[in-house]
Amino acid sequence: MFNARLVASFLTRQSSSSRCATKLNSFSRLSSTANTTTQLRPGVRFCSSHGSFGTASRTAANSLTHQSSSSTTTTPTPRFASSSNSSSSSSSSSDVAMYLKQSHERVFESNRTWAAEQKARDPEFFAKLAAGQNPEYLWIGCSDSRIPAEQITGLEPGDAFVHRNIANLVCNTDLNAMSVINYAVQHLEVKHIVVCGHYGCGGVKAAMTAKDMGILNPWLRNIRDVYRLHEKELDAIPEEEARYNRLVELNVIEQCRNVIKTAPVQQSYAKNKFPIVHGWVFGFHDGLLKDLEIDFEAVLHDIQKIYNLTDN
Amino acid sequence: MSQQDTFLYALSSNNAWAGYKAHQNPNFFPKLASGQSPQILWLGCSDSRCPETVILGLQPGDVFVHRNIANIISPTDINTSAVIEYAVVHLKVKHVVLCGHTSCGGAAAALSDTRVGGVLDTWLTPLKAVRFAHQEELDAIKDDKARAVRIAELNVEAGVKVLMANFAIQDAIRERGLEVHGCLFDIGCGRIKDLGFGTKGRNGASGGLNGSSEEVVRGKHAQLAFRGGNAQMIVR
Ligand SMILES: [Zn+2]
Ligand SMILES: [Zn+2]
Repeated sequence: MFNARLVASFLTRQSSSSRCATKLNSFSRLSSTANTTTQLRPGVRFCSSHGSFGTASRTAANSLTHQSSSSTTTTPTPRFASSSNSSSSSSSSSDVAMYLKQSHERVFESNRTWAAEQKARDPEFFAKLAAGQNPEYLWIGCSDSRIPAEQITGLEPGDAFVHRNIANLVCNTDLNAMSVINYAVQHLEVKHIVVCGHYGCGGVKAAMTAKDMGILNPWLRNIRDVYRLHEKELDAIPEEEARYNRLVELNVIEQCRNVIKTAPVQQSYAKNKFPIVHGWVFGFHDGLLKDLEIDFEAVLHDIQKIYNLTDN
Repeated sequence: MSQQDTFLYALSSNNAWAGYKAHQNPNFFPKLASGQSPQILWLGCSDSRCPETVILGLQPGDVFVHRNIANIISPTDINTSAVIEYAVVHLKVKHVVLCGHTSCGGAAAALSDTRVGGVLDTWLTPLKAVRFAHQEELDAIKDDKARAVRIAELNVEAGVKVLMANFAIQDAIRERGLEVHGCLFDIGCGRIKDLGFGTKGRNGASGGLNGSSEEVVRGKHAQLAFRGGNAQMIVR
């Protein structure tokens, strides 16, 4: 089990960080993504950006490091550039070029607005960020566009080191993910590693489809292997969606095992008692994260019978 | 509250976020659950200071993401290749954005001659190759930070070249006008600069400072508050 007391002490390390600075969640764009209605109506939309997960929450959650939350109440009203084409698809082929240009302009426009907002709220925001990173988390998640780690968890820029790939896989021969873990654990000394999957994962579905998918084959094969490891349990689930959901969970659990099998994690834990590895699953139907409550100590112990990479 | 930590914070604030989103727009999560159709594939650094969807001011559902150490695009890396294939061929994104950033630890490591250790040196090989290919230019830059920025730019240029050589990307450019962009995120000011590499070439840079007339939208503020260990959204 995750030990809250254990990691609580790590918080003080961050006392000089800029976490009072607020962040942008750009919730104002919510409706333009979720609805086809893209017209912006002042006053109707939740502007939030900063408010939502910024200052107050961090202050309250982390009272060791931040004393005042009053600054949020005086922050300026966030502004957002409007966009008229956020989620529509072009209907006429003659509009394609124009549409592509606009949708790319939108990115720079939003970014400019975001940067200006951050600066207005905290003139030192970017200077502090530029000074360095000291993230508490390594987030290993799916590339799926619907799960931006920072927005769904309310973490600030600087809080989470992030690796995202198809179906949140951690394969021992994948230099890419292995380098991320190596750097995050040994150089950044993250306290938590979260492997976050999600129900309805297209990667997991694709992996279970009888089809040659070219360059995706070697990657998705790992999910088929997860199925094979848990074949009995999965075969016993009659309903297809429930079976996929369980496969998503089991995939997360197996990837957590793979994280724990790495040398950096085992060695750091032996020495520092961190990082701790967690498995989460994000559900689109309610937007909530489900903690699979992986018993880190037990899994580590289990794994080290064969995969021990510490020196003792 | 002293027992709280960032782990509990994240789970707790997710709870509040989900509640608020659903309250604000009951259709939000059902719509998300129905599928994704992102326009942008973002290839960026794992660095915690570069949260793509946040710095782009976009929403869940907008950006398909791969982030690795130093945003290295290596043609034989199966992880990145799978992401590109899935995003370009199956999701049919309209833009591929490769974005480096200032003060990148990976760039600094590639400029150093010391061994990083573990599997990292092997991963950084392509970035080291960029360094050696531009050794003279980089050596001429006296300021360490400026040199790191320059190699980050060169890294993006090299990565864009790899992307442009990818068959799936080439097909998509030809068949449906996919665009490939090379950018740099300046952590010191929060802005993304279009470096002009990729499908648009030098002239297409659009990250100018004189932003056209932006429509200003104001809305209600809301913030997350902890009361008795529970988080909730407060709208004022
Ligand atoms: Zn997925
Ligand atoms: Zn970096």
